[in-house]
Amino acid sequence: MANYGMAFDYKLCINCRACEVACKEENGIELGANKHRLWIETKEPSGDFWNLNREKMDFMQLQCQQCEDAPCLKACPHDAIYRDKNGIIRLHDEQCDLSLDCVKACPYDARYVDTRKNITDKCIFCADTRLDRGLMTTACQVTCPSKVRIFGDLEDKNSEISRTLKEREYFQLKVKKGTKPKLFYLK
Amino acid sequence: MKVIEISRRRFLKGSVALSVYATSSLNAVTLIPKSITQPTNKIFNNLKEIPFLCNMCRNKCAGIARVEESIVTKIDPNPFFPKSRNMICPKGNAGIQALYDKDRVKYPLIRVGKRGNGNYKRVTWDEAYEYIKDKLIKILDEQKDNRSTIAYCNGEGFNKDEYIQFFGGKIGSANFLDEGSICLNTKLGATLLTIGDVGEMDVAGSDFLILLGANRFESLITPDSVDMARMQKEQKLIVVDPRATVTALKANEYLPINVGTDLALILSMTYIAIKENLYNSEFVKKQFKDFDKYQEHILKERYTSQWAESKTAIPKEKIEKLTKEFFDAERPLLYMGRRSVWAKNDFQLRRAMVLLNGLAGSINRKGGIIFGEPIKLPQEEINSPIYDNAEGRFDLDGVVYGSRKGGSWLNFREKVITKTAPYEVKAMFIRKHNLMQNMPNIAKTKKMLEMMELVVVLDTMPTDTAIMADVILPECTYLEREDKVVSFNRLEPSLALRNQVVQPLYESKSMQDILKGLGKKLSKPLFEISKKYDEDLQDSIKELGEKKAFNEGGYDFVELYKKDITQRNQELIEKKFGKDVYKTLKDRGVWYPNIDKHHKEIFNGVYEYYPEDKKFYSVDRKFKVNCYLKKLQKNGFDPMPTWRDEYDFKVAKDSFRMITGRYVMFTQSATTNNSMLRDLEHTNHIWINNKIAKEKNIELGDLVEVKSSIGKVKIKAYPTNKIHPQVVWFAHGYNSTSESMTNSYGNGANDNEIIEDKFEKIYGCATMHHTDVKIRKL
Repeated sequence: MANYGMAFDYKLCINCRACEVACKEENGIELGANKHRLWIETKEPSGDFWNLNREKMDFMQLQCQQCEDAPCLKACPHDAIYRDKNGIIRLHDEQCDLSLDCVKACPYDARYVDTRKNITDKCIFCADTRLDRGLMTTACQVTCPSKVRIFGDLEDKNSEISRTLKEREYFQLKVKKGTKPKLFYLK
Repeated sequence: MKVIEISRRRFLKGSVALSVYATSSLNAVTLIPKSITQPTNKIFNNLKEIPFLCNMCRNKCAGIARVEESIVTKIDPNPFFPKSRNMICPKGNAGIQALYDKDRVKYPLIRVGKRGNGNYKRVTWDEAYEYIKDKLIKILDEQKDNRSTIAYCNGEGFNKDEYIQFFGGKIGSANFLDEGSICLNTKLGATLLTIGDVGEMDVAGSDFLILLGANRFESLITPDSVDMARMQKEQKLIVVDPRATVTALKANEYLPINVGTDLALILSMTYIAIKENLYNSEFVKKQFKDFDKYQEHILKERYTSQWAESKTAIPKEKIEKLTKEFFDAERPLLYMGRRSVWAKNDFQLRRAMVLLNGLAGSINRKGGIIFGEPIKLPQEEINSPIYDNAEGRFDLDGVVYGSRKGGSWLNFREKVITKTAPYEVKAMFIRKHNLMQNMPNIAKTKKMLEMMELVVVLDTMPTDTAIMADVILPECTYLEREDKVVSFNRLEPSLALRNQVVQPLYESKSMQDILKGLGKKLSKPLFEISKKYDEDLQDSIKELGEKKAFNEGGYDFVELYKKDITQRNQELIEKKFGKDVYKTLKDRGVWYPNIDKHHKEIFNGVYEYYPEDKKFYSVDRKFKVNCYLKKLQKNGFDPMPTWRDEYDFKVAKDSFRMITGRYVMFTQSATTNNSMLRDLEHTNHIWINNKIAKEKNIELGDLVEVKSSIGKVKIKAYPTNKIHPQVVWFAHGYNSTSESMTNSYGNGANDNEIIEDKFEKIYGCATMHHTDVKIRKL
């Protein structure tokens, strides 16, 4: 029993995409540019070559935000989406009929259609591939050169993520939607 | 870069957990396709975790392979290795796809059609060896036992020295070539000649780091790239580049520069440092040799910031500020590379860089170029014959220094194809070296290979080079073999062992096993040739008898392979370091002194390997910083770094300067067929300045023709503000001509079809940034 969340020291990202490959290999994700559980959104510099403006430029790690109030969960007409014992939003594969209500409901664009299994898929913190084995890391986290991601139990006060969130300022994505995401971006 | 104009949906292959073609049979003669149908990985039976060393690029990061039912299902980083800092990059993660690539060379093959057509018949290993033997007997008989008629080459990798021992030592050829002359030999040479050692750069320890062109975030080098990515607020990173790479964009400051003018910038920084007395006079007084000459030369040439601005396009105020900040910093480091050779002044540039580091006192100290203390491994002694009729190498003729080991590819190739070499080269053994893609002007490489009577390629993939071979020998990938233990690094030294993760697939073999088989076949017949022509051997036989002359003369090519690699490693390690160290290397893949005591996690997967006071920042060693190289002066070159008018950045009318580089997810052409990596960057695009593109009506994804004096290619356009208006760039490694490379065949453009072949004359290195091209929208 835990309440898993993830913090991102997002400015350390160099967009090498090791996380993307590690995720695809670990979780057997379908290949293709629009098939992914996580991705890096890049903002390019503006201006002229000799005077590039890099202020707004960044690499942002995006994936399912593991909302405490998850729109996808509410949207599913078949109750196929559930929260597991560790607070991770999961799917009963056999109950999914690809109504795509969850895909439309997600404000973070976190879900895609797995055309082999005919389900909507997204990041589940490697719940079935790593956490079930007793590993305490996600594939994306452990492989990262700059160690952008900090993963752990938000309930455990001594976990690295809890300590980090206590010590550092952070923001969450689209908080106005009221989704209460459990992903935190460190300032 | 992320170009999203293309649909990549046709690559719906699925990753390894989905469909794996592998076999659990130990002797994998027949292939048993095995398919795991559940995308999620639920097999926990027979799980093994095996530490290994990656080989997807030159870094050799340490990983741990998860093996389930004899299938590699996941690769994670190995936290024990100081060098790779507990990370695995995208290429390393996709190593599984290299192992299970359906296009791999699976069996020994002999060519049946024209060279380059890719038509081969499957043969047994013995048939392949027999074919090679017959050809070699004929060639060596015709060449009267001149062993150097057999050239051999090997790209970067652990087994290179052993390969040299076999072909250079045992077979006796002087003509070995490696990647150094199409890579960074000028950097190694300039450092060695200036401070007596190639050194290592302490990135983590530096508080002010300048990178000239080295694109460390898209061309990952461990630990340098990781240390740069994890730089703290008090550390500053400055990047100078004609292209706004990811490294440039992530830096504290990015200085755009004209192509090939880095030397002008460094000379100007040197001028300012000397003129304004910014340098570390104590260090200079103690360590520099001929500083007075250098000082006089720099001041006399008047390399002012204004002068440098006219060459580099960097504003003079910025050059002055950069110089002051560099010398004000506590531990400044002008990062020495690593990267290919671009301009003909590259050796001089690297020299000027070492000297500038010296002026800042950044040698043999924390955050500088360090000498450190590598762990020494014992050598295996083998006995090599001396062939009376073997001629010397010719590729360093006309080159001042050059690498005596790996030579000069472009000079070698030129002399072969123009028949100006002192003797004929008739055979070539090529291993882990994609000649048909890796050096400028592919047409010339093709011509060279067509002139050979025997070309043998050892590779895992049917590359463009492989399909030029008479015989292709399937080597196994790094995950299928154990390699000899290696000593890494100087600041935080360690030993690391590449353990075998799975048995070789198909009929592939390790290099050692291939050479063992070849050695058995060749030893006696090639000895017979020497008996015929080698007078020294004839005398030796008279004196000792044939059997003794053979054995004591070292003619048994299998000498090194009497024991397998596992036995050899065990003996080598236990003899010097003891049984516990061997066990640690087998269990963890890595060992260094006091590993249990010193290895600890700091936070979130970031480790400390050596405590601060145990790192080898400064060692007790006598060294000089040599300002003046007499040998250069004797050969008509500048003995000290000097700017020449011919180095000025000038682009022909209506043309662009073509520069090259790579994407983060590819290692040159070696990973080009990897379906996972291909999925990330499906094809290459040519970068062209957005304003120029607009004038030319070129939009994202438009097909353009890029034409140089030696050829032309077609490629899609990527207009961007991230490149100099007079420069275009595209990534190396795309567009195979081998149809058997199904993912990379005919995809994108190959830079070496249009880069003109020129080499600098100090190290014989191919220069790559001198070609002007014209661009036309199709």
